[in-house]
Amino acid sequence: MPLRRLLIACLFATVPGLVAALHPGLARGQDMALSGVLIDNEGWQLVSQGHKFTEGPTADAAGNVYFSDIPESRIHRISPAGEVSLFASDTGKTNGLKVGPDGRLFGCRGGDRQIVAYRPDGQFEILARDVDCNDLALDDQGAIWFTDPPGGRVWHLPAGGDKKIVAEGLKPNGIGLWEGGGTLVVTDAQLPVLWTFRVAADGTLGSKERYYGPLQIPFGADRPGSDGLTLDRQGRLYVATFAGVQMFDPTGRLGGTIARPQPGPLSNVCLGGARFDHLYVTAGDKVFRRRVQATGRSLQKAP
Amino acid sequence: MSKFPSTPLPRRGWLLRAAMWLLSLAVFPVTTARAADDYVLGADSQRQPGVPEGTVTKKRWVSEKIFPGTERDFWVYVPQQYKGTEPAALLVLQDGGAYVDPQGQFRTTIVLDNLIHQGAIPVTIAVFINPGQIPATAEGQKPRANRSFEYDTLSDQYARFLLEELLPEVGRELKLTADPAHRVIGGISSGAICAFTAAWERPEAFGKVLSHVGSYTNIRGGHVYPSLIRKTERKPIRIFLQEGSNDLDNLHGSWPLANQEMAAAFKFAGYDYRFEYGDGGHNGKHGGALMPESLRWLWREHRK
Repeated sequence: MPLRRLLIACLFATVPGLVAALHPGLARGQDMALSGVLIDNEGWQLVSQGHKFTEGPTADAAGNVYFSDIPESRIHRISPAGEVSLFASDTGKTNGLKVGPDGRLFGCRGGDRQIVAYRPDGQFEILARDVDCNDLALDDQGAIWFTDPPGGRVWHLPAGGDKKIVAEGLKPNGIGLWEGGGTLVVTDAQLPVLWTFRVAADGTLGSKERYYGPLQIPFGADRPGSDGLTLDRQGRLYVATFAGVQMFDPTGRLGGTIARPQPGPLSNVCLGGARFDHLYVTAGDKVFRRRVQATGRSLQKAP
Repeated sequence: MSKFPSTPLPRRGWLLRAAMWLLSLAVFPVTTARAADDYVLGADSQRQPGVPEGTVTKKRWVSEKIFPGTERDFWVYVPQQYKGTEPAALLVLQDGGAYVDPQGQFRTTIVLDNLIHQGAIPVTIAVFINPGQIPATAEGQKPRANRSFEYDTLSDQYARFLLEELLPEVGRELKLTADPAHRVIGGISSGAICAFTAAWERPEAFGKVLSHVGSYTNIRGGHVYPSLIRKTERKPIRIFLQEGSNDLDNLHGSWPLANQEMAAAFKFAGYDYRFEYGDGGHNGKHGGALMPESLRWLWREHRK
């Protein structure tokens, strides 16, 4: 009897036990520590260097990762094996990138104030003109939401439709959608939190909340320096910051900060590689990656 | 058993050894029969004959202002002794579904029936509130669970949700006292730090806190409270703080240490507090067993 009681006590002492007892819908919100993501002796590895300013990492269905070098107006491609090749040049200072469900590479062509879609041959179609676009997110149907830092706005650009403002009064930068859509996350250059919105069927945003936070701010800094973000298949969110890659669980709680590969800020992050189990970061003049336990996915539908 | 000396006893000490052997027989069953976290509910947590039962009404709230888009269940308990002529005392509990369950670890409504009947606490209306959720709008989407945001965030947002949205809704039909000494707010785990934060931000609205295995850890910065309590002019809050030595120790912090730090800060700053440190884990067993005593203590001036 005492042993049985002890076993029962141990059972109830676990977090999932309490969480499930309190609120069945919270089972997802279990503690997600860095130990569930990082792998011992698997640190950052340099993948590409000699660039001016790297941004926009995003993966296609084969796990190739594309990234932009904004000042050089180039887009490069990293194969799962780690080989780097030039994908496009004269990209009009393309900044944020995202591989879409159709396999095209959607980009913020900042120098020309356009949003474009690159085909595999590097040629592109213009989807929107006269826009300030820093970064963009796509859903599985190819609808776009993009950040407009000068205007302090987030825009929605439905596939084949017209752009419209869906959020204002922010200092937006990075942007990402939860898997399946429905929830949009926007980083803010000035705040130690990330904004989260509910996405309505028509692409408009509601339920604005400072859901993720607080972010770590390095000693001596006045803000976390939040930039690009990505999500894994378990719903964890990774955001590039001054301190490193800060990882949050799906309930918005900081799970930990992954150390940056070199001094200086990180601009963006994605999961790629053949099994989507490599975390890529764009860090100034370089791109690094490391193998992790987490897995991501590409929006591109498998051919 | 390490309680016994390791030095060999002299041969002549056979009587002493026999006595110690007998003692060990006496001690051993006692130490094992009381397993850690082996708390049981007392008579005040069981239905008693002749005690009037209050009513419990389940309701739903969709927030438009403070947590826009969130939906949640809440329950309102009204004791039979409430006649609507005088304002009732108020008890607000987070993770309401766990506290309102008459078969659960707390059985709050049964405790309230008994204590109100005994005159140990005033006629009290209890509001049990679940955390919000932003439901999915399409198939394949995940709802956004708002519990951690609402409960763990250090701000006045949740207090404003109660004072500007939910309690006015309850107050449309029921008279609630405005006296903070008769307005208790409580919860378990993140719900406990949520309750403390509401009182900390709005002590004129919530003068008493009931804290069960509270998450005064760094989930969203709540580990700062002990130092904040020490370095802030004392607020008029009375706190019943329950914690167990087998509580969580994880990436956010150590619950037992955090609650000991809270108790030490309350002592340093001169708060009216009571710390019940048991050997339970992260659950409501100890807090549930203490529920009648904690409500008596929080309202200890009530019984003349």
